[in-house]
Amino acid sequence: MSENEKVACDHCHLEFSKDVMIKDGEHYFCCNGCQGVYHLLSDEGLDSFYDKAKGVKLTPPTQQYEDSKNFDSPAFYDKFVKIDENGFARVALVIEGIHCSACVWLNEKALQKMDGIIEANINYTNNKATIVWDDDIVKLSQIVDMIRAIGYNAFPYDPSIQESRANKERKDYYFRMAVAIFATMNVMWIAVAQYAGYFTGIKQDMKTILNIAEWVLATPVLFYSGWVFFRGAYYGMKTKTVNMDILVATGATLTYIYSIYITLTQSGEAYFDSVSMIITFVLIGKFLEVLSKKSVADALDIMGKDIPSEVQVLRDGSIVPVKLADVEVGDIIVITSGQKVLFDGEIVKGEGCFDESSLTGESEPICKSVGDSVISGTVSIDADVQVRASKDFEHSTLSHLTNLLEESLNKKPHIQQLANKLSEYFSITILALSALTFIVWLLMGHDFERSFMVAISVIVIACPCALALATPVATLVGLGIAARRGILFKEAAQLETMAKADTLLLDKTGTLTLGKPEVVKEQRFEEYDKNILASLTKLSNHPVSKGVFNSLDIEEFDEVCFDSFKQHPSMGIEAYVGKTRYLGGNAKLLKYFGIDFEYESERTLFFFAVDEKVVAVFELEDPIKEDAKQSIETLKKRGITPIMLTGDHKKIAEKVASELGIERFYYELAPEHKAAFVEDMHKQNHIVVMVGDGINDILALSQADIGIVMGSGSDIAIEIGDVVLLDDTLSSLVESFKIAATSYRLIKENLALSLVYNAITIPLAMAGYVIPLVAAISMSFSSLLVVGNSVRIKFSWRRG
Amino acid sequence: MSSEIVAMMLGVSLFLGGIALFAFLWGLKSGQFDDEEKFLNAAKFDNEEDLQRAAEAQKKKEELLAKKRAQKEQYRPE
Repeated sequence: MSENEKVACDHCHLEFSKDVMIKDGEHYFCCNGCQGVYHLLSDEGLDSFYDKAKGVKLTPPTQQYEDSKNFDSPAFYDKFVKIDENGFARVALVIEGIHCSACVWLNEKALQKMDGIIEANINYTNNKATIVWDDDIVKLSQIVDMIRAIGYNAFPYDPSIQESRANKERKDYYFRMAVAIFATMNVMWIAVAQYAGYFTGIKQDMKTILNIAEWVLATPVLFYSGWVFFRGAYYGMKTKTVNMDILVATGATLTYIYSIYITLTQSGEAYFDSVSMIITFVLIGKFLEVLSKKSVADALDIMGKDIPSEVQVLRDGSIVPVKLADVEVGDIIVITSGQKVLFDGEIVKGEGCFDESSLTGESEPICKSVGDSVISGTVSIDADVQVRASKDFEHSTLSHLTNLLEESLNKKPHIQQLANKLSEYFSITILALSALTFIVWLLMGHDFERSFMVAISVIVIACPCALALATPVATLVGLGIAARRGILFKEAAQLETMAKADTLLLDKTGTLTLGKPEVVKEQRFEEYDKNILASLTKLSNHPVSKGVFNSLDIEEFDEVCFDSFKQHPSMGIEAYVGKTRYLGGNAKLLKYFGIDFEYESERTLFFFAVDEKVVAVFELEDPIKEDAKQSIETLKKRGITPIMLTGDHKKIAEKVASELGIERFYYELAPEHKAAFVEDMHKQNHIVVMVGDGINDILALSQADIGIVMGSGSDIAIEIGDVVLLDDTLSSLVESFKIAATSYRLIKENLALSLVYNAITIPLAMAGYVIPLVAAISMSFSSLLVVGNSVRIKFSWRRG
Repeated sequence: MSSEIVAMMLGVSLFLGGIALFAFLWGLKSGQFDDEEKFLNAAKFDNEEDLQRAAEAQKKKEELLAKKRAQKEQYRPE
């Protein structure tokens, strides 16, 4: 047996060489954590988990969690725990570390076995858990401990925001559609009997029975499923606009009343089938729209995710937790490393570095000491400081930013959609035509009944089914094509907006460039040991340091163990082996250590010094993405003006812009400036697409008509963006423009189709040539035409 | 075929269909279709052991609920 033989850990199934594994009887474990979980599951009788998981690789459980007692604090309960009508506590948690359906099973079962837990329900798709328990028997901290004990972790989220109205609306539509589709399908087969009778003759009493059955079925469709149209019509009338809802509501109601009259008087043909079909088809169209709407709340939720509900405040010499709202100006707040700064203020004690990337976009940490001001929204990296609050929470920069974001998300410009514009005219025209028909037929000396029937047939045949389906079907096809290419549109309406866009704003770092500097030139003054430089650069996570490490091109190296080392934020690293000092960093670092060295370059520089001597200089450049130049060219040809916005300085901006052929660029922009720029473009009546990836872009992204985010961007940016490019390339940006244009063309085609259809059938109806059968068939046929046309596009894209 | 028979057949079939519709709506309302993956996986993990556990969980829930109710009764100031 060779020493390097690999065996899989019996819990997590990760493979390690045998000699480092913990042997436990028959079993092997990679760490104590896995061993612990394995035994726990056996003891609890939950070991069938391993059969279910079928060797899926899991994350080994880590022991480093903050104390779960935090979960029991009143402030936490206040924020996340709800008490339901039976007096049980309910919390929503996101479970981390779920890899497969067996993990979900395990979590559910383990929780359900605990005393006092009433319900534990985990969603397979988003790993969100709802747990209901009796707080007298078990505490939330124990529940979280259990989840951690079996190798997962949990953190809470506020479900009231996230599972907001969007979901409720969706469910409401499911109900209405289920009823509508059920009833319509049944009405249809009864209608088949009616039509057969129409041509071959049918006894009046038989006809009445069929009519009554249809009546029974059409009633819930009109008044339950069709309720949304009545509501829409009401709001439409309130704002004095004629929308499609009014046409649908009046059309369906008039037809319904007329059909009842026919049924009762046992004369003529009833149109109940048309009533239920109109409602069902238009409802489906509406539902498709609701399905593709995204909620604003999600983005804000992420912003607020890591805001705790209390902070540590120094009062009378001791540290006490205080709720955010109760902190007053002048309070001394204690911030430890890793914490998010929630209050603006001035450091009164301690020093350390802060990550200000959320405000400035600058990834390098900023170091501060007594007397410096800290800004809320930044994160303490290694600073243990005491800060005197200069503003209360409501007026802090963080709250201000959140409010700004909320505002811009809510007032995001909505380009009026073609179909909406059209349907308004269409509805007025049809209602007018129908009234006109009625009057003309009366004047021509026909009886009231006949005139009314003809007028109704105009409305029925003009039923906007096709019109209502035209846009949703076309956009869904567009969304499908895009999704298969790794482009996620979050809302269908965005396709149309994007097709109309004329201005493209591009962020530089991470969007046009890779965001990972690469060494383009190395100036070596003396030979040095590559192993040492590699080990040195490996100590830092800074992109420059990573770039240098990658340039060394060594696959395996003997990592040098430094006797001591120190990070100098925004400068570099200092490390010692014995008495020899190694320095790796920028010019500032050399200056800091009193090394005189002159080197001129426009590029980012990394110096490597041994003791007092610089032995090598690396010049780094953030490379432009391969497809950037071509993509920009293609977009220009499509009539879109590209503009680059960057926080970088002029020289770098100029270079990238000229290389890509971008004529307009703006540099040294703060996040607010980018947003203001978007606003300016709006004022000049441009429709703006903004592409970005970082936290510093979110304001601009939320304000643009369309915000496009790279898939590798920060979570908040992805949440806020309207479109996500999963593969980060600019060619998918071009692709998304193309797909938008195609979908828009499809929408126009579909609308034209349904209008032409109506232009032919309405005059026929007005002349009184339309029999019920023709009306019903024409309605389905026009809808089929629209759907068929959309499917055609789908297939042509697939081939292309 | 006499019209009474047609009426009866229509009535019966619509009634049966209606029951199916209500069953579906009930399922929708009680959240059985909320998570389509769970829906599918439930069949995969279905065995006696799990059934036993589900029954126990249900029993536990009822017991706790009864206890809670009893508590409430006690607290009532009467």
